[in-house]
Amino acid sequence: MTQEQTAVDGDWHRVHPASPFVRGWVALVAIVYFFGRDTFERTLQGRGTIGDNINERTVWLLVGGGVVLLLALGSFVLNWYFTRYQLAEGFVRVNTGFLFKQQRQARLDRVQAIDIVQPLLARIFGLAELKFEVADAGHSAMRLSYLKLAQAKQLRATILGRAAGIADGSETVEVPEAPEQVVLYLPPGRLVGSLILSEQSFFIVLSAIASVLISVLTESRAFILYLIPAILGLGTAYWRSFNTGYNFTAAISPDGIRLRYGLLDTRAQTVPPGRIQAVKVSQPPLWRVLGWYRIRVNVAGYGEHHRNEGEHRTMLLPVGRKPEVMMMLSLVLPDPGTADPERVFTAGLKGLDSDGGFVTTPRRAWLLSPLGWRRNGFLATDTALLLRSGRWWRHLVLVPHQRTQSMALHQGPLARLFGVADLVLHTTPGPVAPRLIQAATEEAVGLFDQQAARARQARKLQNLAQGNSEQWLAQLPPAAMPVLPAPPTTRAVQHAATQEEQDHG
Amino acid sequence: MHTAAIDPPGIQWLRVSRKYVTVRLVEWAIGNVIMIGLFSLPLLFVQLGWWKWPPLWLAVAVPSAFLVLALWRLVLIPRQVRAIGYAERDDDLLIRRGIFFQRTMVVPYGRMQYVDVSVGPVERMLGLCTLKLHTASPGTNAHLPGLPAAEGARLREQLSARGEARLAGL
Repeated sequence: MTQEQTAVDGDWHRVHPASPFVRGWVALVAIVYFFGRDTFERTLQGRGTIGDNINERTVWLLVGGGVVLLLALGSFVLNWYFTRYQLAEGFVRVNTGFLFKQQRQARLDRVQAIDIVQPLLARIFGLAELKFEVADAGHSAMRLSYLKLAQAKQLRATILGRAAGIADGSETVEVPEAPEQVVLYLPPGRLVGSLILSEQSFFIVLSAIASVLISVLTESRAFILYLIPAILGLGTAYWRSFNTGYNFTAAISPDGIRLRYGLLDTRAQTVPPGRIQAVKVSQPPLWRVLGWYRIRVNVAGYGEHHRNEGEHRTMLLPVGRKPEVMMMLSLVLPDPGTADPERVFTAGLKGLDSDGGFVTTPRRAWLLSPLGWRRNGFLATDTALLLRSGRWWRHLVLVPHQRTQSMALHQGPLARLFGVADLVLHTTPGPVAPRLIQAATEEAVGLFDQQAARARQARKLQNLAQGNSEQWLAQLPPAAMPVLPAPPTTRAVQHAATQEEQDHG
Repeated sequence: MHTAAIDPPGIQWLRVSRKYVTVRLVEWAIGNVIMIGLFSLPLLFVQLGWWKWPPLWLAVAVPSAFLVLALWRLVLIPRQVRAIGYAERDDDLLIRRGIFFQRTMVVPYGRMQYVDVSVGPVERMLGLCTLKLHTASPGTNAHLPGLPAAEGARLREQLSARGEARLAGL
C-alpha cells in the first residue's frame, strides 16, 4: 500500500506536503478574509472590484494581502521541507526548523503509547498525525504531522514491532500490522445517558433550581440573562465529551490495547502491554442505579499535556457495565494474582467491610470518616495492590506491583490520635493518585514494608524476563506469539504459551 | 533517637547534621522578620496618626499573633531537624521527617532517574548540601537537606551506582 514508505533503516522521510496547510488553514483563511473582505464586498455590491480612484485602499489591501500570504506560504513550505524523520538503530529521530534546527530522538523500546490523531480537516484529506510518548524523551511527546493514514498505520506497526522486539533494526522488511480483536463497543445511546447522568448534570440541575428560586424571590427576570454564558460553556463541555466519546471502541492485539473514538476528530490510541501505571474504576452516585462505571488510567506521558486532551486520552472506558469493567481490568492486568478475581474485584467495586479479603479502616477511627470507614480499604494480590474508597463516589484503584515508583506513609496528629495512617503510592502524572486512607497504623506500616518487597520482587522478575530492554515480546520465540499480550512476568509467559498460538511475523 | 509509630521496625536512622539548624534559623529569620515587619506597618501608621481605620487593638493583635506563631515555629526547628532521618537499605532508601505531620518515604534504587545535589549560600558556609531524588513520578518529593558535603557526595555516588545496577523501566 505504501511502496515509497518502507521502513528502510537510515532513510530520511518527509511528512505529507499538504500538512502545513492542514495545520495552518486558520491562518490562511484569516489572511484572505482580512485583506480580501473589502474587495469581496465591493464585488457583491456590483461596484467593480477596484474603485475609480486608483489611490483607494483596495489595491494596497490586495497587494499587502498577497505579500503576507506569500510569506505565510513560504514559511509553510520551508517548514515542511526541513521537517524530516528517520527510523534507525532502535531510535526515531525527528528534525525540524530551518533557522533554529532541532533534532529529537527517542528510544523505540521506551515507547509508552502511540496515537494516530485525525482532526476533521486532516480526516477529509485522508491524513493523520502520529504521536508517541516516550519515557526518556523528557516532557513532551514526539509528533509527526501529517502522514497519509495508511502510512501512519504502517509506521505505527513498525515502531511497535521494533519496540516489541519482534523486528530488529537491520531488516528492511515492512512489519505487518498486528491483528486485532474488537472487545468492546460503546453504543452512542449509553454515552448520551452517561452524560445526562454525569456529575456535571447533577450540579446543573442543582444550580438551575437555585437560580429559579433566586429569580422568584428577587422578582427579577434579568437574572436568567446571566446564565447564558454558563449555558454556552456547559453546552461546549457536553459537546466535547460527546464528540470524543462517540464510537468508543476497544480492541486487543499483540501490540497492546487499542482505543478508538471520536465523531469529528478521531483518535486511535495504542498502549503496549505493561505500560499502564495505575487504574481507577469509579462510579458517581447517579450511575449506581444503572450499574455503570468509568475507568481511567495513568500512562507515562499522557498526564503532562493539555488538560482537555489528557482527560480523554486517559479514559480507558467512558461508561460500562460490570462485565465490561471486568474485561478491561483483565486486559490491563492479565494476571490478577488471585484465585478468584471476580469476587475480589466485585468486593472492590461495591463491597463493604472485609468482603473479598479487604482490610478496612479500624472501627476506632470511624469518626474520621463516618460514611467511608467501612469502604476505605486495601487488598494486595500477587501482582497488584487494590485500594478501595468512597461510599457515595465509589473508587477502586489498582496499582501493579512492578509499576510502583516510590511510597510514603503520612500521619498527622489527628490520625495518630486514632491510630491510623495514610499510605501514598507515587505514580506517573495522571488522573489516578493512589492513596490508601486511614488504615490502622500497624497495617499501614506492614503494608509499606511488604509493598516495598513486592515491588522489588516484581521488578526483578520483569528484569529477568526482559533483560531490562522493555521489549515485551522479545522473550517469546516468534512462533509462539500469544493472542493476548503477555504481561512481563514469567508466570504469565507460561500461562500465555498454553493459549492459542498465532504467527505474528 | 526519635522514632515514631509509622516507622518500619528495626530501622537505624542516620540523622542529618546538627548544623542544619542554623540554615533553618536563617531561613526562619528572613521569612518572619519581613512578615512581621509588614504586618506591623499598620500599627506604625496608626501610631503616627496617618491612618484612622484599624483600631489600635487590631493593629496590635495581628502582628503579635504572627509573632507568637513565628516563635512557635522557632522552638520547633531543632526538633524538626532532629526528626529528619534516612536509612539505606539493600534495595531502597528510606527518608523520614516531621513531628506533628510525619512522613516516611521509601524510594527504590531501581526507580531513581537522577540524583541532584544542591548547595545554597548558607549551606556552603556551613559545609552542607541538599540531596534530591527524582523518579518518574512528580509525587516523589524526596529531598534530604542538611547533609555534610562529604556525606552528600558519598550518598550521591552510592545511589547512582546502586540505581545503575538495579535500573528498571517505567
